[in-house]
Amino acid sequence: MSERARSLARPATLALIVGAALWAWAAVALWQSTELPSLDLPHLDPHSFFSDSFLHRSATYERFLAILGVLGLVTVVAVLVVYARHGHRLVRESAAGRVGTGMLLAMLGFAVVWLAEVPFGLVALWWQRRYGVSHQGYLTHLLDSFLGLGSQFVFLCLGIGIAMGLAGVMRRWWWLAVVPAFVGLAALFSFVSPYLIPDTSAIDNPTLVAEARALERIEGAPHARLREQEVHRFTDAPNAEALGLGPTSTVVLWDTLLRDGFSREEIRLVLAHEVGHLAHHDPLKRLGWLALFLLPAWGLVALFTRRRGGFAQPESVPIAILVLVAFQLLATPLLNVTSRRQEASADWAALQATHEPATEKAVMRKLATKSLSDPDPPFWAYALYENHPTIMQRIEMADAWEAQRP
Amino acid sequence: MKLLLTDDLRRSRGTVFFRAIFALPFLIWLAVWAVAAFFVAFVNWVATLFEGRSPTPLHDFLARFVRYATQVYAYLNLAAEPLPTFDGKPGYPVDVEIEPPVAQNRWTVAFRLVLALPALVLATVLVGSGNFVFDSVRSSGRLGFAVLGLAAMFGWFYAMFKARMDRGLRDLIAYALSYAAQTWGYLLLVTDIYPDSDPLTAIGPLPTRSDPVRMEVTDELRRSRLTVLFRLALAFPHLVWLTLWGVLALFAAVFNWVVVLVAGVSPQWLHRFLSRYVRYQLHVSAFLYLVGNPFPGFVGAPGTYPIELHVAGPERPNRWAVFFRLVLAVPALMLAGAFGSALLVVAVLGWFAALFTGQMPLGLRNLGAFALRYIAQAYAYTLLVTGAYPYSGPCLEQ
Repeated sequence: MSERARSLARPATLALIVGAALWAWAAVALWQSTELPSLDLPHLDPHSFFSDSFLHRSATYERFLAILGVLGLVTVVAVLVVYARHGHRLVRESAAGRVGTGMLLAMLGFAVVWLAEVPFGLVALWWQRRYGVSHQGYLTHLLDSFLGLGSQFVFLCLGIGIAMGLAGVMRRWWWLAVVPAFVGLAALFSFVSPYLIPDTSAIDNPTLVAEARALERIEGAPHARLREQEVHRFTDAPNAEALGLGPTSTVVLWDTLLRDGFSREEIRLVLAHEVGHLAHHDPLKRLGWLALFLLPAWGLVALFTRRRGGFAQPESVPIAILVLVAFQLLATPLLNVTSRRQEASADWAALQATHEPATEKAVMRKLATKSLSDPDPPFWAYALYENHPTIMQRIEMADAWEAQRP
Repeated sequence: MKLLLTDDLRRSRGTVFFRAIFALPFLIWLAVWAVAAFFVAFVNWVATLFEGRSPTPLHDFLARFVRYATQVYAYLNLAAEPLPTFDGKPGYPVDVEIEPPVAQNRWTVAFRLVLALPALVLATVLVGSGNFVFDSVRSSGRLGFAVLGLAAMFGWFYAMFKARMDRGLRDLIAYALSYAAQTWGYLLLVTDIYPDSDPLTAIGPLPTRSDPVRMEVTDELRRSRLTVLFRLALAFPHLVWLTLWGVLALFAAVFNWVVVLVAGVSPQWLHRFLSRYVRYQLHVSAFLYLVGNPFPGFVGAPGTYPIELHVAGPERPNRWAVFFRLVLAVPALMLAGAFGSALLVVAVLGWFAALFTGQMPLGLRNLGAFALRYIAQAYAYTLLVTGAYPYSGPCLEQ
């Protein structure tokens, strides 16, 4: 190594070490911002809560989907490796200049991935229909998926446009500028996301609205919009989610939850869980985690695309997509850990607000039964796919809460 | 089969005014002839399947039927002036030249109805029923009109004022009739050559024009199967961007309208902005409808796309024409809508063809380019980018 290279490498290494330290400090701070009491969860036997036949059925159902998912992931990576090697040839199909060509190559990369995923999606749908979890038709599934791809392309183009634009302007450290830009975009998306969910309407049940307001007061959450989403045409599985930022904070309850055998207390508990997310500012924290994971992801993109002239050149986009997808696959188990902590914290908040551990257990049993979730999945599936604690962990938390009640 | 066009564009106002009534006996006779042709066509199909060639008497009967139908619809839709005869003899100003029977591939004969379906779909958007009055009653504005019907309607008004037919409209009607004649000829086994939708070769010598808004095609017909397969999804970002740009262009056009009314001419920057919008719209449509192959840029820059729009600088238009621009643009926009339907059919048929062969058929590409040129000229006229009214016929660009 020449003297000049050595003199350049030193500050870069130093910057990298300082950066890594700052990253670790931020990650720890973000992790600790989600409070969860240190509980010694009792180990409960699933057979005490679920029948043998259900446990067998749900395990079979989920195992198949999990294996299918892994096969799908392997296929996607294989397809992207091939695309990273040969995708740059598609530059000739563009008359859109440097950035526009990058957009085309990114879209084609995702289109190829979509194509590779189609058989897996159809098999998964067949499996869900066989077990009565989904009612969606195959053609509707394909059409929805294709239209979803079109909408995905719009955001993809925006992202690639920003990243390639910055890579063209800033030479070495462009990837550091990309992260705040992307987090800003994600924040914007998070802000407007409650308005982008289809088939929603305001919940007009005054009792439920009053309970939501009371829970907001108890848990210290901001005032949230309450919406009902119509999904019963596609699935029987019940669900709810908290999304939006600040004035757009919203709790969405699926109609399968509101109209399908859940008692008032059970719906209230689900509501308390979602309000807990808002009280803990979880949508904002998700943005924080996104920022932390984007930083190394784009750093790796900058590193791996150098041999094709850097990310400013459209020829490097197929490699960038492979790097980003591979990084996402590797980071997913870690992100799942952070998500599970937030969910557990929201569960705890719901128990604190309602004081109804028995209802929590009942809700979990119903959720498992209706969604055909394996209450105690194998560890590999848990690590790869579960962004919520398992049903048994949630039941155990209710038990632990009951045990430590004065 | 080839369309022969010897019409001199002159029209008598009296016969134009009563055209639909004068055409009635010919239409009734055509209907009677059509019933006979249906049975003869079936016999001809069986005979051709066995012999591998259409028997001459049957071929001649069906050829005469196709020729007579073309003559009657040419008369009804103002593409020709004299009354046709009742026997479909050759020599009418809009006529069809038909070759004697030749050997045909039995497989294509057996599946002729299926094979003719794409051509029939395209013929439907170009010609409709061939009768504007009937089309208007049937569609009641739901499906819009066929290209031929609208061209005939606007031609009627033009001929009533000028005592002659507009060349562009006449050529457009002749082109639509040419395609319809080829389609029926193919379906009835009069010919085994698949209908050619190329407007540049359908009606003989074309005028060479140098309009202020003109299109240049340097596309090579090759299509990437991957981008063809995902063409609609790939166009999504462009469609979103085009919509946003369109909102801005609308305000810019209103501002431009006021400025031109006051100052007499568009400011350069505004003209450039609106020209770019029209060009970008053309690039995106060309990509979406498979008229062009490469993915277009997002700024409508000139000289970047194989389907290119050349726009001349701002002109000093007649202020009255500017004041009433929106009203004057209505016929052009209606015809642009009909061209849009044809473009959709071009895209669907071209999608299958390009996916299987990796090439866009020349005829479909040229029809798509023709439609796009007219639509771009109509938008440019509406947005005051030019004062030249869109030219509706097929033409060569200088």
